[in-house]
Amino acid sequence: MIEITNVHRRYQTGETFVHALRGVSLTIEPGEFTAIAGPSGSGKTTLLNMIGALDQPDEGTVHIDGTDLTSANAKERARFRRRSLGFVFQNFNLIPVLSAYENVAFVLSLLDVEEDEVRRRTMELLEEVGLKGMEDRRPLKLSGGQQQRVAVARALIKQPAIVLADEPTANLDSETGAAILELMRQLNERHGTTFVFCTHDGMVMDKSRRLIYLRDGMVSDEERRAV
Amino acid sequence: MKFLLKLAVRNLFRHGRRTLITAIAIAAGLSIYIFMDSMLLGMELESQRNLVWYETSAARVHEQGYWAERTTHPLDVVIETPEPLVAALSQRGIAGAPRTVFSGELVVFQDPYPEDGSARITAYAIDPMRDDDVFRLKETIVAGRYVKPGEAGAVIGSWLAEDLGADVGYPLTIVTRTRQGYYQTVDLEIVGIARTPNPVINRGGIFLPLDTADRYLQMEGAVTEINMQLSGPVVTGGERYMRERTQEIETALASVVPNIVVFSWRDMAADYLALAEVKKSASGIILFLVFIIAAVGVSNTMLMSVYERTQELAMLRAMGMSSREIRITFAAEATGIGILGALFGAALGAVLAAFLVYIGIDMGWMMRDMDIGYRIAQQMRGTWHPAAFFQGGLLAIVVAPLIALVPVRRALKMEVSDALRG
Repeated sequence: MIEITNVHRRYQTGETFVHALRGVSLTIEPGEFTAIAGPSGSGKTTLLNMIGALDQPDEGTVHIDGTDLTSANAKERARFRRRSLGFVFQNFNLIPVLSAYENVAFVLSLLDVEEDEVRRRTMELLEEVGLKGMEDRRPLKLSGGQQQRVAVARALIKQPAIVLADEPTANLDSETGAAILELMRQLNERHGTTFVFCTHDGMVMDKSRRLIYLRDGMVSDEERRAV
Repeated sequence: MKFLLKLAVRNLFRHGRRTLITAIAIAAGLSIYIFMDSMLLGMELESQRNLVWYETSAARVHEQGYWAERTTHPLDVVIETPEPLVAALSQRGIAGAPRTVFSGELVVFQDPYPEDGSARITAYAIDPMRDDDVFRLKETIVAGRYVKPGEAGAVIGSWLAEDLGADVGYPLTIVTRTRQGYYQTVDLEIVGIARTPNPVINRGGIFLPLDTADRYLQMEGAVTEINMQLSGPVVTGGERYMRERTQEIETALASVVPNIVVFSWRDMAADYLALAEVKKSASGIILFLVFIIAAVGVSNTMLMSVYERTQELAMLRAMGMSSREIRITFAAEATGIGILGALFGAALGAVLAAFLVYIGIDMGWMMRDMDIGYRIAQQMRGTWHPAAFFQGGLLAIVVAPLIALVPVRRALKMEVSDALRG
């Protein structure tokens, strides 16, 4: 469970002080498929970074499954991310010198999983995300949609409790974006993994079961629906 | 760890041309170092051999007190009875060659010489029957012949002959003083011209028979020195080795003739050795330059690598990769560049060193008119020095990852969230 309590975050860009989050509090239950939406500068990415242990609040607390990320140091947060979180990025961020298989498998290598186990799980997941037969292709030999599928597989391979996706469909055409979103929804249902998106793509908002609106660094609205 | 190394190797060839250029820069620095080291060491060893073979011998006996006045070549501080000493040396398996060294005024007159002239010279009276047991002058005669006992003949250095316009058969007059201090004119005929690998001998060497000099200088059997040829690592054995050997000989000879002192070639060539030591520091400077080239090349390459991989690095950190693992990846990549550079550099350095060792560089044009201290008259040859390959290569391999860590450290200081935005 993700518990965010009265989180504030201020930072400086050039000579401008930005108050990105102004007392955000919310709870996300395990297995949720949640989108955080809002206009540019509303604090979506900052909030996602807080949940992803990539940034720390100036005030307030962030707890994930009982772990207080606010008091954790950089090393502890890195260890937490390594074990418990998966990320999907807008730009896919695949390693161009590694094949699709290697881009996914390395996450398990970092966790010292046995090689046979790495192979079995990676091949299964690549098949599940529709990339069977493309394991040996490097990112440049894959379409944008296929690259994002690799990124989704990479995020899920370690069976994390939470997958955080920052604008996962922003660099995809609408058809491919819909397919990726559908894939993530299926994986959410099948594995029970919590998905938290940060988006201003209407389609992503439509597909999510919970929608949190941010405006000026505060939760302005929230809705739950059956999709 | 396996993954980190795999990633490092893949990244190494990600920008193959850039990696190659950096490796070539390192290789260039390393090969220059190997070349210079081979040349300097070759010149040093060759010079030391030529000193021993043509100038100083391995060790020398003088009468006590001679050393302090050696620059004036005194004839009154001499070894009165050289034969018992030569015999004692012979008993110990050491070849000994007595010599009398004296200074004087060389005088030549027009016809057959192109013009009149005179110059201060140092002449060496040698025993033609024994001198070549110690020195190698006899092997270097290029015109005429070696001196014979009893004759009023002289062998002179080839550059001296050229400077004088002399040839075999030309007269040579040396005005000097006898042992008692009387003026004496020594009239000789040039019987041979020697072209040695030692420029000092070529430039000013005048050699006449010892018995002839004995007669002219009224030495009555006395000589100024007894030169020795020693077995063992005379040139390469180091200072301590030679000191121990000369002390051992001195102790043995003291019971035969008192008041003698034995000097090693290192004592006699102290000025040269001090100069060579200074020149050797050039090798250190080149090694430093290799370090700079490797540092700049690797730093530039790694800086570009880190810069263009900012987002990738952030992704890896977001995935939970530790700073240590990221450092290992980049250090391994830089080590790869260092290894490539070291291998190329060693190969290129081996080719350059082989050229020096087997072909060499003709230094005659420079040594003929310029005294730079080295005892090399013509062909300068290098020597194989495996330690240079090892030291230089190791330096490139060790420096590369250390340098790479600087830009990586900077990248790791960036917040992951900032770096993810690119």
